[in-house]
Amino acid sequence: MAQQPLPSSVQPTTDMYGGDEVSALVLDPGYSTTRAGYAGEDRPKQVVPSFYGKINYDNGTRDIFGDEVIYPRANFERPNYMNRDSVVEDWDAATRLWEHVLIKRLQPARATPAIRNGLNDRGKNDENGDVDMGEGIEEQEEGEKPLAESPLLVTEAPWNTTKNREKAIEIAMESWGAPAFWLNKTPVLAAFAAGKSTALVVDVGCANASVVAVHDGMVLKRSIQRSPVAGSWLSGQIRSMWDSSDPKVEVVPTFMVENKKPVEAGQPAEARLKKFDFVVPESFRAFEEERLLTEFKESVVEVWRGPGKFQGPNEDFVKSQVGRVFEMPDGYNQMWREQRFKVAEGMWDETAAYPPLGGGEEGRVQKGQTIPALIKASLEGVDADLRANLVGNIVVTGASTLLNGFNDRLHMELTAMYPGLRIKIHAAGLSSERRFGAWIGGSILASLGTFHQMWISKKEYEENGAGIVEKRCK
Amino acid sequence: MTSHDVRDVLNLPSDHSAGPRPAKKQKISGPRPNLKGLAREVQSLGGDNPIAIVPEEAVFKKRRIANRKPAARWELRGFTNSARGDDGALLLRHWRRKADLDPNHDAGQDGETQMTDGVVDGDKPPAEVIEDSAFAKYNVQVSVPQYSEEQYHSNLQNNDWTKEETDYLMQLVKDFDLRWPLIWDRYDYSPRPIDGEGVNGSEMAVVPARTPRTMEDLKARYYEVAAKMMAVQKAVQYMTGPEFQLYEIMQNFNAAQETARKEFALERMNRSKDEAREEESLLLEIKRILARTERFNEERRELYNRLDFQTTDSDITQFRGSAGLQSLLQNLMNVDKSKKRKSIMAPGEGPSPQSAVPGSAVSETAPNNRRESIAASVTGHRDSTAGTPATPVEPAAPAADKKKKGAQPVEKRNLSEQEKQIYGLSHHERLGSGPTFRYEKINKLYSHKSGQQQMRITNALAELDIPPRLAMPTALVTQQFEKLWTNVTSLVDLRKVSDRLDADIKVEEAKKAERDKKNKPAGETTEKEKDGTGAEKEKDKAAEMGTKDGESSKDKEGEAAAGEEKAKAGGDSNQGGDGAADDGSAPPGAADGAAGSPAKPKGGEADGDKDKEKEKEKTPRPGSSGGHKRSASVLSTTSDKSSKRQKK
Repeated sequence: MAQQPLPSSVQPTTDMYGGDEVSALVLDPGYSTTRAGYAGEDRPKQVVPSFYGKINYDNGTRDIFGDEVIYPRANFERPNYMNRDSVVEDWDAATRLWEHVLIKRLQPARATPAIRNGLNDRGKNDENGDVDMGEGIEEQEEGEKPLAESPLLVTEAPWNTTKNREKAIEIAMESWGAPAFWLNKTPVLAAFAAGKSTALVVDVGCANASVVAVHDGMVLKRSIQRSPVAGSWLSGQIRSMWDSSDPKVEVVPTFMVENKKPVEAGQPAEARLKKFDFVVPESFRAFEEERLLTEFKESVVEVWRGPGKFQGPNEDFVKSQVGRVFEMPDGYNQMWREQRFKVAEGMWDETAAYPPLGGGEEGRVQKGQTIPALIKASLEGVDADLRANLVGNIVVTGASTLLNGFNDRLHMELTAMYPGLRIKIHAAGLSSERRFGAWIGGSILASLGTFHQMWISKKEYEENGAGIVEKRCK
Repeated sequence: MTSHDVRDVLNLPSDHSAGPRPAKKQKISGPRPNLKGLAREVQSLGGDNPIAIVPEEAVFKKRRIANRKPAARWELRGFTNSARGDDGALLLRHWRRKADLDPNHDAGQDGETQMTDGVVDGDKPPAEVIEDSAFAKYNVQVSVPQYSEEQYHSNLQNNDWTKEETDYLMQLVKDFDLRWPLIWDRYDYSPRPIDGEGVNGSEMAVVPARTPRTMEDLKARYYEVAAKMMAVQKAVQYMTGPEFQLYEIMQNFNAAQETARKEFALERMNRSKDEAREEESLLLEIKRILARTERFNEERRELYNRLDFQTTDSDITQFRGSAGLQSLLQNLMNVDKSKKRKSIMAPGEGPSPQSAVPGSAVSETAPNNRRESIAASVTGHRDSTAGTPATPVEPAAPAADKKKKGAQPVEKRNLSEQEKQIYGLSHHERLGSGPTFRYEKINKLYSHKSGQQQMRITNALAELDIPPRLAMPTALVTQQFEKLWTNVTSLVDLRKVSDRLDADIKVEEAKKAERDKKNKPAGETTEKEKDGTGAEKEKDKAAEMGTKDGESSKDKEGEAAAGEEKAKAGGDSNQGGDGAADDGSAPPGAADGAAGSPAKPKGGEADGDKDKEKEKEKTPRPGSSGGHKRSASVLSTTSDKSSKRQKK
C-alpha cells in the first residue's frame, strides 16, 4: 500500500473516511484466479490461479497451490475448482485452496504450543496433575480455529445457488471458526470499487461476461445477463484463427521449447522441443497454452473501435495498415493485421465470430450474447426510471476489458443504441484495479465502519443455521 | 534573456520604447539575495537571470526529535455495534491508541499484552467497558405502516390484494428500505397453496394464479395502506402540515399517470439519433430565447428603474418649499455626477418629468418632491368643479403620512376601489384640454334640445325638487344626474308621442262617431265609448292602487315581499294599460320605457321615499294618464339616490 505511514502517536481519523478496520479478510474466487487479502488494502495480497495443482500418486492425490509449483511433472493435473459458471464446483479443492491462501499465506505463523514443541518433554514422569493440565491446554488449543481472528467476506457470482452460498458460510464458520461472515455479489463490489452505489456493471472476466444493474448497493436480479463471450472464449477464437490461418499456427507453450532459432516471418519454426520421460497431462498443457494465449491477447489482440462494425470496408482498410508482430515461444513469428481485430469482433457482432475449433454449434456466439445485446437486455429488466441513470454510470471491470479499444467500442455501441442519453463509462485506468475490481470493492466494504452491523456473526449462524445467508445477504 | 539582448545579438537598433526596460530589470536584480558561499563574480555570470541554486541542506538524515519519548502504545480493542441489535454478541476488534494509564504499570505489562494481543486479552477486557461503534448511529430504519388483523379487515380490504400478499409487500418494503426498484425487482410473491377440503391431505392443493405486479401496482397498494393507516392513527384534521402533505401525496398517487409517464420516458430513451439531435437543438434555441428575454427584461427593468422615482422614507417637509426643491435638485445632480453615469434627466426638467411618465404619474406613491405637481395633475385630470379642490389635496396628506411612517410598502399602480374614491381618482377615455366645470357638461346636454323640451325637462325636474343647476356637482352626483336627465328626456319624448296618439285617437273617434251618427243608430256607439272609457278608468284605478300600496308600505328600503306584492299590482295595472297603449302602436322602445319590466317600477316605488310619493300625489300632472303615472315612478327609481343626496 503506497501510503504514508501515520506516526504512531496519531490516531487514524476514522470518521474522515468512514473506515474502521477490523482485520477482515476478503476472498474473491474467480474462474481464472482466486484473490485474497486483508480488507482496507488496495490490492489482494494473494492472487493464485484457480487452476490448482493436483498430483496423482498411486495411493492417492495431493493438491498443491500457487504459481511456484507450476512446472511439468508426471501426473500433474491442473483442474479448476470452479465451473464455467464461475461457481464453485469442487468444494473439497475449494476449501483447500482457500485455506492455503487465507490461512497459510495470510495468517501470521503461530508458535507451536509449548506442550508440543518438545522443549519440556522431560516431564513425562511428572505428577498426573501436570499432564492432565497439559492435555487440557492442548484441547483448548485444538479448539482454536484458524480464522478466529478475522471476519471473512467472500464474493460470489450474482447467479450463485443457494446451496453454494450455504456451503460457503458453513466452511467459514465451522471449519475456520470465523467470527463473522458476509457474502456479497461481485457486481456490487465492482461498483463500490468505482465509487458508485448505483451502476450498470459490465464485467468481462475469464469464463463469463455479465451485465448487471446495481441499485443502491443491491443487485437487481431481473437485470442479470451473462454470456460466455469472455476471456476463455476469446482464447478459443484465437485458437480457431490460428488453426484456420495459412500457414497453420501451432500452439507450442513455452515449457515445451528447449531451444529455438530466429526465423523469418511466416517461415516454419526451427526449434528443438523438450522431451519428457513422462506424459504431460492434457490439463497441464492446456493451462500452459492459456498463458501463451493470454500473452497474445495482451500484446496483439485489439478491439475495433469503430466507427461501425469491423466487417466490411473497415476490414479492408486494416489490411492495408501495419500490423503487429508476435513471436511464438518456438520462434515462429508473423505480422497480424486484420486478424487481431477479427478475433475480438465476435464480442460485438455475433456474425463476425470464428466458428469454434471443434466445430459444432455449442461454442458459437448466439445473437443475444454479444456485449451490446447483454446491456440492452439488462436494461430491459430494469424500471424505466433507472435506465438513464444506469447508462450514465457504467462500470467496466474484469481482466478481459483490458483489451485495447474495449472501452471505445463499448462507448460507440452504446451511443448508437441510446443516442439520446448521456453515456458515461467508468473504467479504472490501473490494470490491477480492473482485474481485481470485485476484490477491491470487498476490501472497501469490509473496512467500512458502517458495515460492521451487517456481518453475520457466529452466534447468528449457530442460532439460525446456514440458511441465514439467504436471509441476510440479499 | 530579454528582448534587449536579442536585439543586441542581432545588431538591431534598440528602439526607444524598449529602452527603459533593461534599467528596470537591473533595478530588480539589485537587491537579489546574496547566496552564501558563492563568489560575486560567479553570481554575476547569471546576468539578469539569477542562477537557480537551491540551497541544500548537508544533513544526511534528520535526527528524529520525538524519539526521546517512549513509542505510543496501541492495542487491539474490542468493540460492539449496537446497530446490530444482538446485544454485543459480535465482538470485533480494531487498533486503538492505548489510553494513558499509569506508565509504570504499562511498561511492566507491555511485553505480555503485546504477546497475548493476538489471542484473547486474557482477564483485561471484562474490566473495561466495551465501546460501541461510532458508526452505530448511522443505522436508520424506515418506518413501515403496521396494522393489526382487525385494522386490516376494517380499513385495508382490497379485492386485488390478499392480506398475505400485503404482508409480503410490507415486509419487502421494510427489507429494502422503500427502494422501489429493488422491491419491484425482488417481488416474487407466490400465493400459498390453498389446501383442498379433503381431510386426508389430498393432492388437491390449488395454487392460485400468480399475478405479475408492476411497480405502480406495488406503490399504489403501499401508499393506499400507508395513507389509510396514517389516517387511522391520527385523524386527518389533527395532522401537522408536513404530515398532511405526505398524506395528500400518498392519497393522490395515480398509478395510471405514473405508468404513462414511464412509457413516455421510455419513448424518450428510444429516440433516434436525429430526433435526439433535433431536440437538443430545440433546447438550445429555447435557452437562447430565454436568455434573450432575460436580457431584454433586465434592460427594461433598468429603464424603469431610471424612469421611476426613488422613494425615500425620510421626512419631506423640507422639500415642500421651492428652496427645498432647489437644494434637492442640487443633491440629485451631485449624486448623478458622483455615479458618473449619464443622467437620464436633463437638469432643467429635473423637478417635473411629468411628461416622461405618462400614465403612472397619478399614484399615491409618487415621490415626495413631486407631490405638488402631481396634485396639480390630478386636479387637471379630474373634471372637477371649482367646489372640489379639497379632495386632491387630501391624497397627498395621507400619502405623506404613510411615507413618514415608512411602514407601507410602496405600491405604484394598484389602488383599490375605495382608495380610488378617496383620492378622487378616475379614468377617462379622453379629456378635453384645459379645465372644465362639471355643470357645463350638464348645460351641454340641454343645448341639443328644443326650447319646449327644455321647458318640459326642467318642469319634470322641478316636480322632483331638483334644481336645474346642481348645488354640489361631485362626480357621483353629476353621474347620477346625467342618468336621471336621460331618463327624464326619454319620458318627455314618450309623453309627446302618447299625447299625439291620444289626440289622434280622439280625432279618429270623433270621425267615427260622426260617421256612425250618419250611418247607424246611436245605441252601439255609446257602448263602445263606454268600453274605451271603462278601460281607462280601470287603468287609473290600478295605478292609484299601486301608488297607494307604495304609500302604505313604511319601509323605505323596500323589502322583497313588499316589492313582490307591488309588482303584482303593477303588473295588473300594466295589463290594464296595455289595452290602451298597444292600440296606439307605440314603438317597442317607447313601450318599454313606459311599461318597463313590472318589477322595476315597483322596486322604485319601494325604494322611493314616502314624502316623495306624497309629493307626486300633490303635484298636478298635466294630462295625467296611467302611463304617465308609471313613468313618474320610473323616474323615481333612477333619481332616488340623487334626490336623497340633494336633500342631504
